[in-house]
Amino acid sequence: MTFVLPMSFPDLLLLLPEILLTSWLCLILIVDFSFPRLRNEQLAYFSIAGLVATLGCLAWLDYTGVTGTLFANMFALDRMALFFKMFIVGSTILVILSSIDYIHRFKFFRGEYYFLVVMSALGMMFMASANDLLTVFVALEFSTLGLYVLVAYLREDIGSNEAGIKFFILGIFAASLLAYGISLVYGETGKLVFSDMTSLQATPGLAIGFLLIFAALGFKIGAVPFHSWIPDTYHGSPTPVTAFLSIAPKGAAFAILLRMFLVSLATFRPIWTLLLVAVSILSMTYGNIVAIAQKNMKRLLAYSGIAQIGNVLIGLATGTKMGSDAMLFYLLTYLFANLGAFAIVIAVSEAIGSDEIDDYSGLGRRSPFLAFSMLIFLLSLAGVPPLAGFIGKLYIFIAAIKEGLYLLIAVGLINVVISMYYYLIVVKKMYVSEPRERSPLRVSGPIKVVVYICLAGTLAIGVYPQPVTDWVVSAILVFSNVADPTASLPVAPPVIPFGG
Amino acid sequence: MGDYALLYILFAPFVGAIALIFVSNRQAMLVRGIAAGSALVSMLASLYLFFAYDHVKGGFQFVQRFEWSRQLGISFHLGVDGIGTPLVLASGILLFAGIFVSWHIKDRTKEFYIWLLILAAATIGVFMSLDLFFLFFFYEMSVIPMYLLLGMWGSHTKKYNEMTDPEGLKLRDSVGFILNFGSNSKEYAAMKLVLFLSAFAVAALMGILLIYKYAGLNTFDILVLREQAQLMNIPVLGTTLDKIIWILIFFGFASIAPLWPLHSWSPVGHAAAPAATSMLHAGVLMKLGHFSIIRVAFEILPETTRELMPIAAVLCMFSIVYGGFVAYYAKDTKYVIGYSSSSHMGYVFLGMAALDYISLTGAVMYMFAHAMATGMLFAMAGWVYDQTHTRDIPSLGGLSNRMPFISGCFVVACMASIGVPGTVNFIAEVMIIVGSWNKYPLQVIVAVVGIVLTLAYLFKMMRGLFYGPMDQKYSHAHDAVSAADRLPLLIMITVSVGFFFFPMHLYNVVRSGVDPLIAKITRVVPVASQERETLDEKRDARADSSPQSLAALPGHVSPPAPYASRSDQ
Repeated sequence: MTFVLPMSFPDLLLLLPEILLTSWLCLILIVDFSFPRLRNEQLAYFSIAGLVATLGCLAWLDYTGVTGTLFANMFALDRMALFFKMFIVGSTILVILSSIDYIHRFKFFRGEYYFLVVMSALGMMFMASANDLLTVFVALEFSTLGLYVLVAYLREDIGSNEAGIKFFILGIFAASLLAYGISLVYGETGKLVFSDMTSLQATPGLAIGFLLIFAALGFKIGAVPFHSWIPDTYHGSPTPVTAFLSIAPKGAAFAILLRMFLVSLATFRPIWTLLLVAVSILSMTYGNIVAIAQKNMKRLLAYSGIAQIGNVLIGLATGTKMGSDAMLFYLLTYLFANLGAFAIVIAVSEAIGSDEIDDYSGLGRRSPFLAFSMLIFLLSLAGVPPLAGFIGKLYIFIAAIKEGLYLLIAVGLINVVISMYYYLIVVKKMYVSEPRERSPLRVSGPIKVVVYICLAGTLAIGVYPQPVTDWVVSAILVFSNVADPTASLPVAPPVIPFGG
Repeated sequence: MGDYALLYILFAPFVGAIALIFVSNRQAMLVRGIAAGSALVSMLASLYLFFAYDHVKGGFQFVQRFEWSRQLGISFHLGVDGIGTPLVLASGILLFAGIFVSWHIKDRTKEFYIWLLILAAATIGVFMSLDLFFLFFFYEMSVIPMYLLLGMWGSHTKKYNEMTDPEGLKLRDSVGFILNFGSNSKEYAAMKLVLFLSAFAVAALMGILLIYKYAGLNTFDILVLREQAQLMNIPVLGTTLDKIIWILIFFGFASIAPLWPLHSWSPVGHAAAPAATSMLHAGVLMKLGHFSIIRVAFEILPETTRELMPIAAVLCMFSIVYGGFVAYYAKDTKYVIGYSSSSHMGYVFLGMAALDYISLTGAVMYMFAHAMATGMLFAMAGWVYDQTHTRDIPSLGGLSNRMPFISGCFVVACMASIGVPGTVNFIAEVMIIVGSWNKYPLQVIVAVVGIVLTLAYLFKMMRGLFYGPMDQKYSHAHDAVSAADRLPLLIMITVSVGFFFFPMHLYNVVRSGVDPLIAKITRVVPVASQERETLDEKRDARADSSPQSLAALPGHVSPPAPYASRSDQ
């Protein structure tokens, strides 16, 4: 059997960001080995330069509207893939910026840290484009490989090692589920490409196959009941890695979930809506209720992340174009709020050496800047206007109410109130409680940059979301088969003010 | 300014808050100056708005509309009618007064003013929103600053600091204190307030989302929804959809009003809050509830309102009596004023429930009047607390020797709160009582009992604070002497008394907002139509006005009140 790869130069254009980043990845290693005296920051900025170039390349592709598929439909570059790639690269840039200070805690392999982060990001970029179950498997394992190492990067720290083991065992378990699911689906249908599977026959094997694939991706996004690795792994990992884990792989996994549910399984929508509703309700409720009891900031953010994923799943459960738009929008608001919050956790732990919520006492007096930013990020996560999180939640609820998912919305709204409680507990510590020491905290430059970027994103999207809304709406145009014709139309009936 | 008055009123405090971020806390006078300046702009613009509002034309004026989100059908749509205008004015005045009341805050002055300005701006935003989304947006936005204001600058109740158990452990850190209703920490009060209001706000949000879905117009615009939304007679769960939506909206917003039995957050919150926050909280924040019910439930679901509004008529009795009795027995000055506020908000609900031209006009005027009266009371309770560091009435007394100006103002404030002729509260109370008598005589009797109760507890508090023997440890307490201290009280007294003598513009403005609303809900010509026709005839005979030009205006279901045009001359 011959495997023909018809490739021309224009085809390579579709791979340009990945090619660019792969070569830069090699460069990072070469530079690290060749110049042993190079300081960490310099290598970090060098990695960031490559990522920024990739981001520019992606933006250029998005702007010119280049789309297409490669390798017999295994690799798809559409606007949704571009959105998620920008999402992943953007979050990687912020994560690397916020790890510049943290890196001194690693005794060995400081240079490889950047290599591994960028490598995972590269794997996730392939995930965003994966249009085929095999690509999904390979890209997912490729990206997770780097993360296995990164989670256990604090070699002397028992917590980090434990996190690494847990993450590794459960990750391998998820991988095996994925492989088994793929084999079942292939056995039933004889197909691997998502877009070829549009007219499937419902069989038990197919159902089990897709359930297993969903379970494996559920591990990635950390939805209940596949969440068990999240709290310990988040707690034990180096904080920048936690930040990375909490956002980038989730975005990549959602890209695959969107393709799988809205393209391959579009005909089975009533069935998987029930599944997603159940998972979403469980995630929101479990995440929020358990978060109340947390004493550690990283664990609190871990559980709040589980709850936030429940919110994102509401958008997926609607199964409409508007729901998918809302998902993308929500993920973007979550990116800014979550990475901002983690950046502050890093800054605080650098200054006082602790992640316990009790040690945030009096942060409002010791560092008004950090406390205020943390307040903004937490309130955005809670969904308080005029911040991005509020618009994100409302967008998702509006999409859901159009599909009549009343129970889901009711649970979601109640959870907003529950989540407000534990976010406000942190706010109380920061602002109301008196500090144990009064010395002001020093915040380093790179962290400040991250916090400023996240603040700007959180506030700008909250105050004027129209540009972002337009972007996500155009990104999801790829699913024209599920498009709700009224959802994207500007329908505003004429205003009739009283009395003419 | 003209057409952009609303933008000035709304954004001046925001701009002030943003400017304050860049000022250092060490420049205290600059901080206060910026806060006062932005509040002044807001107040002056709201005064302009109030007097420039054309009550003959009625309807929504000063309208601003910007497309905000096409996909979601949201526009930034501002405009005020006769109901919103006086409330915007009240917010402007109370914000300006509140800046001066908190003039002596030393701890984190800048942050205090930032949150106070944001709180006031969000409140003002609700009063001028013509889009359901932005109404909720500003409503929810006003809740979070309360948490920080209460938590950072608030005070515990008296007993809280002394709560220890026999083993010397602090009882207040244990579960026990949750069950101890008398003593609360400020953190508890703040958290209770936020969670309570958020929990009910999401109920209201559910109602708003249901309106959005079932109207099917892909818009949140109130003006479009009230004309085109078809929400009636959709059977759901054994009842109809409009009833479910109405209940969600009504109780969602009534929690902030606060209607009995949803009031429990309110006195606790008042007691913990610093003076300026209490003023804004009781003065205008509570009115968000009534206002939002009028704006959403009355406008969009008029039929259902007619059917279900008796719920409010029943609950308001409990509000009035319960609040009054608790206020009588409370020993903490702020509890007294807080419960008195929630009792007085019962009058507003009575005025709304009667669905009568006179009573609803009275209710809206009462909201305005009560804002001034309760603002004064809280300002002075705050002053007394600052001077004596206690709010415990039995331990105070005889302060009128030390603070003659404050005690004099306190008498006026009590008069206003009771509704003695000479203050605008009197006019409003009489209108509520007269307007509701035909429909709810029992409630009116209860309301009159409530007035007697008000008299009792306010006089009791006044005697307890200012007369009788004085404890020597308060001999250092001093009066409000500087202009900055006296200004807020004088402003509020002037407004309260001034509108008693010149109430016609206020009445006309409110009436122009109430008329189309009640006409739409009750579908009858005004109750006093007979009387009005005869008056109209007399007026025509006198030929001293031009009623046809008024009647010819589109949208005016009922002709304006006859006494209205008399003041126009």
